[in-house]
Amino acid sequence: MPRRAAFSAQTLAILAILATEPSAWRHGYDLASETGLKSGTLYPILIRLADRNIVEACWEQGEPAGRPRRHLYRLTSDGLATATAALAAAPAAAPRAASRAARPRRVAAPRPAVGQGS
Amino acid sequence: MEHMTWMLRQAARLLPPERRPWAEALQAEAGQVPAGWPRLRWLVGGLVVVAREAHLARKLVYWLGLGAVATAAARAVILSWQQTQAADVESMTDRARILAGAAALLLLPWLGRRRGVFGPVGDSVAARLVRVAGCGAICDVGMVFVRIDSRSNVNDAIGGGTFSWPREVAGVVLIAALFVVPGMVRARWPRLDPAGLWSLTALAGVLVLAVAPFQLIAVLLVAGVYVLTSRRSRVMPATLTAGALAGLAGGALMWELTIAIRGQLDSWAGIFFLLPSMVLLPAGLAGLAVAWLGSDVDDPPAVREARFRQALIAGAMAGLVSGMVLTYIVGWFPMLIEGPVFGLVASAIGGAWGAGHPRDARPDRRRDMGLFVFKS
Repeated sequence: MPRRAAFSAQTLAILAILATEPSAWRHGYDLASETGLKSGTLYPILIRLADRNIVEACWEQGEPAGRPRRHLYRLTSDGLATATAALAAAPAAAPRAASRAARPRRVAAPRPAVGQGS
Repeated sequence: MEHMTWMLRQAARLLPPERRPWAEALQAEAGQVPAGWPRLRWLVGGLVVVAREAHLARKLVYWLGLGAVATAAARAVILSWQQTQAADVESMTDRARILAGAAALLLLPWLGRRRGVFGPVGDSVAARLVRVAGCGAICDVGMVFVRIDSRSNVNDAIGGGTFSWPREVAGVVLIAALFVVPGMVRARWPRLDPAGLWSLTALAGVLVLAVAPFQLIAVLLVAGVYVLTSRRSRVMPATLTAGALAGLAGGALMWELTIAIRGQLDSWAGIFFLLPSMVLLPAGLAGLAVAWLGSDVDDPPAVREARFRQALIAGAMAGLVSGMVLTYIVGWFPMLIEGPVFGLVASAIGGAWGAGHPRDARPDRRRDMGLFVFKS
């Protein structure tokens, strides 16, 4: 039987969260809190997803008071299609995605100006 | 905690510029993570990300390997001075060989940084391993030459004899012709069978090695290792891996043969046919594997030609590695020439068969750590 490539469970968890509200920008700690992933696992996945144009990244606009600017992430239009297909093909991830979608999110950053992305 | 933040900021400098924003993102988020263990774990994770993205472990092992090669080269130079007699003309030749090889080890990477042909090393693990192990093996072979000459007490005990400028110049001309003539032939007769042309070129290369002085061979070996493993090289990691493994297998077979029929290898047929024929099977299999495993039915002729060239490189490399193994163990240095000849012949057969019998189209087999998993 031929082998095919699929996303890992950790990647699916990230995609599920990003796909719940595709237009919203999310930051790293937000994603880590919701998925339970450690920074050493979360960021390599985000880097690979950004390399493949599944996720787009940019810096928060302006200078927020009392904290540094955040790096923000959301799905690209191609990434949304990829994530939807991947989540549909992975039944185990679907309930988790649904439960996360039902929960109120901690942060839904407004869309910043594009052009400062990594 | 401030120390960890400082370490993460400093470590970010190890990343290529396009990756640094990710390290800055980790630092920016650290301030939002609750103080104490959670923040410490976040920062440690950030350091892990930086180490992984900067390929720190791979670079560290590679530079340790280069240090070992530099030590081996220095040891070879010292031994060539200590173990040979200054008044002996053969000793002068030994020193010239060792110094030429050591100079090549030192200078070619420097040239590579400026021109890119000899370096920097390719990204693959195979390229790094082959570069470090190949340079180390060349140093070891140099020490074997010195050891044999110092014990033989006979002039011309090994190959080259006394140093000769005319031979050096002739060798340079031959090598230059080797690089120029195939291109000229191809431009003049574009319909010429590429497999035949590349086979003839490879065999001519081995003949040049046989005619050229040993000083030149030392430099060529070092240059070959650097060129094959440089970032600009088109040699696939699979070719390097197959060539190296087949060479080790061939060397082991030859060594076993020298033990099994020790008394019967003194004949002409034993030395020039039976012993190097141990390379045929591993080199042929390496050529076959390199040409066949990556092929698809829809490959155009140019891709099959490229695959055949990879097979030839794997075969020549297998023969050379086998020759180095035998030279190191029993001191039979002509195998450095015989091995590549036999390896080329076997890999030409295996490569032609493999490139001519492509596999069926394969499914997508992309893989990336942490991002994809395989499912059957």
